[in-house]
Amino acid sequence: MDNYTNDNTARRYKAHVSILGTTQLHLRNPYIIAWWSAAFPGFGHLLLSKYLRGYALFIWEVVVNVKAHVNSSMIYSFQGNIDMAKEVLDTRWLLMYIPVYLFGIWDSYRTTVDLNKVYLLAEREEHRFNSFSIGALEINYLDKRNPFLSVMWSFFIPGLGQLYIHRILTAVFTIIWLVAFYYYSHAQEAVVLLFLGKVKEATSVLKPEWFLFIPSHYGFAIYDSYINTVENNKLFEKELRNHLTENYQSECFKILKGQKVK
Amino acid sequence: MIHLQLFSTFETTEFLEIAISTLEKKGIKKESIFAVPLDNRKEDRKIFDTLHRSDGTSLIDIGMGLATALSVIGASIGFKLSLGPIYWGLIGAFVGFVVGFAIRLFMELVVKKKKRILKGKHSEIILIVDCEEIQAELVEDILWSHFALGVAKVK
Repeated sequence: MDNYTNDNTARRYKAHVSILGTTQLHLRNPYIIAWWSAAFPGFGHLLLSKYLRGYALFIWEVVVNVKAHVNSSMIYSFQGNIDMAKEVLDTRWLLMYIPVYLFGIWDSYRTTVDLNKVYLLAEREEHRFNSFSIGALEINYLDKRNPFLSVMWSFFIPGLGQLYIHRILTAVFTIIWLVAFYYYSHAQEAVVLLFLGKVKEATSVLKPEWFLFIPSHYGFAIYDSYINTVENNKLFEKELRNHLTENYQSECFKILKGQKVK
Repeated sequence: MIHLQLFSTFETTEFLEIAISTLEKKGIKKESIFAVPLDNRKEDRKIFDTLHRSDGTSLIDIGMGLATALSVIGASIGFKLSLGPIYWGLIGAFVGFVVGFAIRLFMELVVKKKKRILKGKHSEIILIVDCEEIQAELVEDILWSHFALGVAKVK
């Protein structure tokens, strides 16, 4: 059940509160979004709440990267071992990686620029949007959450920050893939070995090509949960102020010009 | 019947809406409640976004980007170094974040030179309630107990 039934009278809506999360348009820096697409194809689109494109690009990245050994090649390159960097790449998979990778960056940049324009128009139109949703499975509404708590939970496990702000689609996707990356990279085993002081064993147990997915995963989860908490808070404030202006500014209200009394 | 008006200021929170709803339940008419959302001062920007306010000046954007980049590079090179990829990945992330954060902080404080005068809580909404004298105390209690920042009675 929603508190607003869309009758499609708006040309543009700036937000939508649904069972699965709060989707909103807001101003974003296209370079920052493009950067996240460069860090990991799909992240830029997930930040824009364009989930299907994001999921598709992300899964593509994992499959083709692992098959073509792009991560291994990156590791050798950063180590200065150019011969091995060339050697390790699987040319049966490599070439198809490049266009999709660049498309992800370009498309998320382009979409951000477009959505910023759409946001400006939607913001001026100020049409009512759904701001409360309750159903058999979930409840979602506008309110204020603490951005630092989002960051803290994302630090513990990427995806928990998104759960905190009811960004279910990103939360589930992020957590599932985190488990996959942890499992295949043996990172948790390495951390246990580090706690035991066995640094050499920790390094040797890691699977580098899977381990290299993890830093971007953390970075994205923290950034996404932080900015979305901030933007959700701003949306809450705007919505409440609109509500007050519409309902509590009666024309017959007269200000009393008396004295202040105790 | 002597009328009183209670002037109060609030932050933009759910408590304000609860306060209004409680007033209405106690018999104050909707027409006797007047709310004025204030426009925030433009240059009043805080560096850190908090639960109470945020202005889109996000200091972590470059920091998180750099943290991720240096973490990937640190982890890669870390396979060769004695501390291993996890420690070097974390070191890379930390250094990247601090550097990115410092860049944004520098831009905010030195390049933009925005004034940051106001500290603490901000009055964001003015709420005026018109009521009879006998109700005044009740209304005042309701306002205070829902975290009004200031309340004044005018007769």
